[in-house]
Amino acid sequence: MRELPSRREEAWRWADLRLAERLRAVPAPANDALPDLDSLALVRPAARAVLAGGHAIESAGRPTHPAPDRSIAPHPLADIAAAEALAGLVVDVGEGEDGGLLECVHLGTSGAAHSVLRVELAAGARLTLVETIADAEADHWSNIRLDARLGEGAELVRILRIETVHGLASTRAHVALARAARLAEVSMIASPAAVRAETHVRLEGEGAEAVVNGVLLASGSAALDVVTRLQHEVPHTVSRQLWRLVAAGMGQASIAGGVAVARHAQKTDAAQSLRGLLLNRTAAVNLKPELEIFADDVACAHGCAVGEIDPLQRFYLESRGLPRPEARALLMQAFAAEALHALADPELSQPLADRLAGHLGALA
Amino acid sequence: MLAITDLHASVGGTPILKGLTLSVGAGEVHAIMGPNGAGKSTLAHVLAGREGYEVTGGTAVFLGQDLLAMAPHERAAAGLFLGFQYPVEIPGVSNLLFLRTALNAQRKLRGEPEVSGAEFLKRVRAEAQALGLDMEMLKRPVNMGFSGGEKKRNEAFQMGILQPRFALLDETDSGLDIDALKVVADSINRFRGPDRGVLLITHYQRLLDHVRPDRVHILAAGRIVESGGPELALRLEAQGYGAIAA
Ligand SMILES: Nc1ncnc2c1ncn2[C@@H]1O[C@H](COP(=O)(O)OP(=O)(O)O)[C@@H](O)[C@H]1O
Ligand SMILES: [Mg+2]
Repeated sequence: MRELPSRREEAWRWADLRLAERLRAVPAPANDALPDLDSLALVRPAARAVLAGGHAIESAGRPTHPAPDRSIAPHPLADIAAAEALAGLVVDVGEGEDGGLLECVHLGTSGAAHSVLRVELAAGARLTLVETIADAEADHWSNIRLDARLGEGAELVRILRIETVHGLASTRAHVALARAARLAEVSMIASPAAVRAETHVRLEGEGAEAVVNGVLLASGSAALDVVTRLQHEVPHTVSRQLWRLVAAGMGQASIAGGVAVARHAQKTDAAQSLRGLLLNRTAAVNLKPELEIFADDVACAHGCAVGEIDPLQRFYLESRGLPRPEARALLMQAFAAEALHALADPELSQPLADRLAGHLGALA
Repeated sequence: MLAITDLHASVGGTPILKGLTLSVGAGEVHAIMGPNGAGKSTLAHVLAGREGYEVTGGTAVFLGQDLLAMAPHERAAAGLFLGFQYPVEIPGVSNLLFLRTALNAQRKLRGEPEVSGAEFLKRVRAEAQALGLDMEMLKRPVNMGFSGGEKKRNEAFQMGILQPRFALLDETDSGLDIDALKVVADSINRFRGPDRGVLLITHYQRLLDHVRPDRVHILAAGRIVESGGPELALRLEAQGYGAIAA
């Protein structure tokens, strides 16, 4: 069996993989009882694929046992997913076609479940992919690999929504962008459990643009760990990252936000903003910008700060009549909502904002 | 309406208010004047319930209720409005959304029905027009990118929408040019009424040329040291605070 990474490795020091260790050899059964699937949908009606415990329950796209993209660099968890997935999904959108909206729901049941998603967008193709990871009532390890290729001028909007309560959710998305392709990705990760979510973007063609944003809400004794790497391989590409991390209780929210600019990738325009909000002193936020810049004619603005709710702002709201929890929730929403601005379509951003408000209200 | 008796308060362990007594009846407008650092803003924050402003003695009764025992949002729902000397900027929170949420939170606590979106907008349009505030600006985040004068007009705007029983206005006149001063003074005069009270905190006499107070008090070193009619403000303007502080 492949080795799981250890916390002693720098890239894994904030990850909590204990459930992966425990459930590594326990495959999820095929017949666990399922919760109400409709309540898990973010946007309705949409083409939908549901994988429960790694087994295909419902399918849109092409349910298969997809082969991973072998050209992608090795990754300890994504490679386990490729080796052990029982089911997955292939989405091909042809040249100039609009693939519409596809929701893919991963339901952690019990045991370990692995899946592989492949998305291939031909030149000028478009797709909106909503990936949801949720769970039932038992510990699980849900390990998902997404390999996506965007052809010239293609556009992918990806929403990653993780609302697990029990298990370990791990995902690794690898998105390669050809000339003038665009990726807009927004993650909303609200959990008291363990999450490791990685997004690795390669900007391989001039004029390619990637926006990779997200909100993390760590409650309970959560260990939410995000890693991004936006790799500018050619001149004239653009990347934007905006992450807002909120930690409450004993929760820990972490991000290593990476930007890498290759030696000849002049005129790269990259920006990154990482901010944390601590709701109490037992919570923790870790922000780590990782910039590797080997070209000299590059704009790479970055900022990173951790704070608390400003008592004067809160008092101003209270003095107008908002009870303290509502004042806090409003300030938390203001802090976090910026990450959702990457979604131009209100049909997507509104339901996500509503879910976010619900989670924040519960923390306030 | 508001009766403050022998109020003592400390900030960060330092006593600032040292036995302040003041009473404002329904229908009255009172002004508090005093040198910088006298404790005027401290009094305003203590009355509104700001954390860290510790009451160490005395009482404040507002419409028959023990004001000092209430949470800040309960004071607002009871009808107290504080116009801030330094209105706070809140990125990401739309002015109008915030105000509507606040208005409905107050109404809920008072057991009144919510204000409909249409009714709210009607009030907003009327009040914005009276204060010369742009609707687009009001949709922006609270006080963000507002000039000093716009922030003060926004305080008056919020007062107009929330319709409190008692307005405690902390230097709402400072930073205003003469036209804006008249606009804000008009809004205070419109607010005046037999069931309402106003306490104007001001450093200068000029606001009182437009809003004529019933009583003027001088606050120095944490206490009211002198009270009188409007003529007291004029005398102060002529003589300066030096004479009082001494
Ligand atoms: N947050 C604070 N922390 C410590 N001292 C304060 C604070 N706010 C005010 N003070 C002090 O309290 C005194 C009264 O201030 P303030 O009430 O703002 O006066 P005024 O509004 O009359 O100019 C001053 O000496 C000031 O330095
Ligand atoms: Mg002051």
